Amino acid sequence: MAENHPNPRAVLQQLRRELLRQDTPVQYNKEEIVRYGAFVGSAIECHEQLPRAMDYARGKIDICAGNGRAISSGSVFLADEMSLCRGRFRRTWHAPRGGVWGCMVFANTLLPQWRSFIPLTAGVACCQAVREICEVPSHLRWVNDVLVGGRKVAGFLVESYTETRHGEEFALVGFGINVNNSSFPVELEGTAISLTQILGKNIDLTEFTTIFLAKLAFNFGILLHEEARDLRGDGFSGGQGRHLLLDRWLDLSDTLGKRVLYGFDVMTAPQYQAEVMGLDPSGGLILRLVDGSVKTEHSGEIRYLG
Amino acid sequence: MSNELDFDELLSKYKSDPFAYVDIFSVHTGRVSFKAAVGQEVASASGEWQQIPGTALYEINRERNPRLVNAQVNGIVANINTELEGQFVEAGVQLMTIKHPLKKKEIIEIILKDVLFLFPAPESAKYFFAMDIQSRIDKKGARAVTIEPGEEIFTMSLMKRDTPVYYKGERGVIHSVYFKPGLSVGQGEPLLGVCAPEKLPLIQKIITRVKAEWDTEH
Repeated sequence: MAENHPNPRAVLQQLRRELLRQDTPVQYNKEEIVRYGAFVGSAIECHEQLPRAMDYARGKIDICAGNGRAISSGSVFLADEMSLCRGRFRRTWHAPRGGVWGCMVFANTLLPQWRSFIPLTAGVACCQAVREICEVPSHLRWVNDVLVGGRKVAGFLVESYTETRHGEEFALVGFGINVNNSSFPVELEGTAISLTQILGKNIDLTEFTTIFLAKLAFNFGILLHEEARDLRGDGFSGGQGRHLLLDRWLDLSDTLGKRVLYGFDVMTAPQYQAEVMGLDPSGGLILRLVDGSVKTEHSGEIRYLG
Repeated sequence: MSNELDFDELLSKYKSDPFAYVDIFSVHTGRVSFKAAVGQEVASASGEWQQIPGTALYEINRERNPRLVNAQVNGIVANINTELEGQFVEAGVQLMTIKHPLKKKEIIEIILKDVLFLFPAPESAKYFFAMDIQSRIDKKGARAVTIEPGEEIFTMSLMKRDTPVYYKGERGVIHSVYFKPGLSVGQGEPLLGVCAPEKLPLIQKIITRVKAEWDTEH
């Protein structure tokens, strides 16, 4: 049996606890958000080992389609370890036992202008889960890296997939969270860290994953809720009329005001240094370059300087 | 496909008038206010990262949200539909025209666009070649790489959401690459120019001819 084994009922119970939170002065309709987000974790598969969760998810989507069914949106596939993980570009992703590794399948019903918020959603959920369970000051680095003390605890990647038989589009939300794993490849030492290293003790993986998935559900609920409000002409629920997810991202992030190195692939081909001025309404990063000009980037990565 | 007669006509046209007349359209609905004048020289975005905006052309205001639109090409403002100043317009209305002087390289590309199959960007985003395609390009060069319809050729990247892009078009070799990883490509702009291998000699002939005739005349 897999060590990490959350179940849909526990995720739903945890999601309902969000209704009791009083963590923000901004008033918004939590019941509606919970209803919108409850699909996340409605089906959960737990494996001891997978090569790569996203590839597995693609296979499951195709199998369902071949049988004349649609995969449940919100299906989560977890593995205690993964052997063929990869990140963006040609990067590998280290996923040994002890971490939370997996992927959530989202049937992409969002309008195009809100799809770029999906990666933000995953980062917000994880950062909130880390703060709640571990009571450590974790922060978000644009786009969705979760850092503690400047070192990376979690990373997320969203891949789009269009199922071949019926053309239905999915967003595969991949996540990798360093929880109880404590050794890293040489190239990651100094930049990566796990929660067990921070706290000096192991964390219940199932409990952490349940809370993370519940937070993911709530934040996906926010995405759908805000889209519905926008279509009704009611405006967004966040402060000063901002999208509520951006509000939550800004509360958790330490990126604003930082001096950064930016690049499409910042590790192998950094492009320029800049100061972060803010986030635009679509989640793009507003940067002031050394020559004083201002540029907004919607793709790419940053590393903090100094 | 170009033949000798069409090609001569085309080349003669660009020799007599080596300009592109670029029409500028309203990007969305709103009230227009022009920021440039007829005869004014305008410049496109510049800087190593295109961070210095081009010359302001017009501002369009929708529900108290003004948006300044800047030049994407160099040139001289040839014409402005001045009757639209201060008026509310729909999206896609022609507002002005910029006369852009064509360089030899641009003329070659324009002519080639009649011969090549152009594969467009499905969305405004940044693109990079799929790993398999990049490996083949690194090993043999783009013009030795043949791509087939249905093959995954790009990853489209927006806010850490990566979407595979599959090639739809004629089977052929990658002749022209119109994007650079790290720089945004607008929706509908060409990413690749592809041609059937048997058209390569014709394309080389076009390029050689334009270079030779352009060098003697200009």
